[in-house]
Amino acid sequence: MSMPQLQVGTELRSAPRQMTRERMRWYIDTHATVEADDGRIHQGPPTIHDDDAYARSQGLPGIIADGMVSTNWILGLLLEAFGRDFAERGRLRTKYVKPIYENQVVVSCARVNRVRKTPEGETVYELEVWCEAESRDKLTVGEAMVFSTVR
Amino acid sequence: MATGRYVSDLDRGDVLGPVEYALSPFVVREYCHAVELHQDFFQGSVDQIAPPTMIHLEKLRLYRFACPAGTGPDARVHIEFDATFHEPVRVGERVRVSGRVSDREIKRGREYMVLDIELRAVSDERLLMTYRDTVVLAYRQKQAAAAAEGSA
Repeated sequence: MSMPQLQVGTELRSAPRQMTRERMRWYIDTHATVEADDGRIHQGPPTIHDDDAYARSQGLPGIIADGMVSTNWILGLLLEAFGRDFAERGRLRTKYVKPIYENQVVVSCARVNRVRKTPEGETVYELEVWCEAESRDKLTVGEAMVFSTVR
Repeated sequence: MATGRYVSDLDRGDVLGPVEYALSPFVVREYCHAVELHQDFFQGSVDQIAPPTMIHLEKLRLYRFACPAGTGPDARVHIEFDATFHEPVRVGERVRVSGRVSDREIKRGREYMVLDIELRAVSDERLLMTYRDTVVLAYRQKQAAAAAEGSA
């Protein structure tokens, strides 16, 4: 795999993505679909992520995205940079500091904070990760540790 | 012990699972389609593995197993995902998931619950993933707390 040289301070940014109703729905549908595991797509009961009336009944102004959507978008950004290595071993922590509402535009970001070598010759990257709105307000924050076998 | 009914009944020390199963290629592909992860190693060309974020669904698997009556009166809000992936989770491998409620407490009027999850290979007990999931048990509490803080 060819990988760009990532140094302390290197910042990765995804293309902007809109948190559409469909994207929110896709994630929620995985819950019932994975549970059934019968080769078909299933839908579960109403949630705050796919049903406006239910979301309002819970005190929200409307549906909000499941935090795992932004976590997965951050994962995707890191997989683009580090490849399969990061799918196999590492750490990812994300905290949802603000809700992401329907049609909000989100950019996934990561910044390299530390790079070190292990005695086994792996390179370990420690990164700050986040998702931000168009205003640059952070919506999701966190950190990642990547063990890269590329030397 | 507060298992057996609603998720909102769970309390510190409750043990959820274990549950054993094998990940199918279908569920991994569907999950990845849903979150737009298009990498070959998730899509099943060769040596398909699961994305580490899929551990989030293990929480729901454990909830269903331990709390068959469902969520409870209010919608939960996911606050934090914290996963360490020790080894790849290979499609078709039989795995065992178990969880333990490590904390449940009220902070500033909001009720938080922390669930620690382990995923191991059934064949040799290899630790594949550890995951800490934090939720607020009701969004409405959060709003009421915010209003109270605002008026303080």
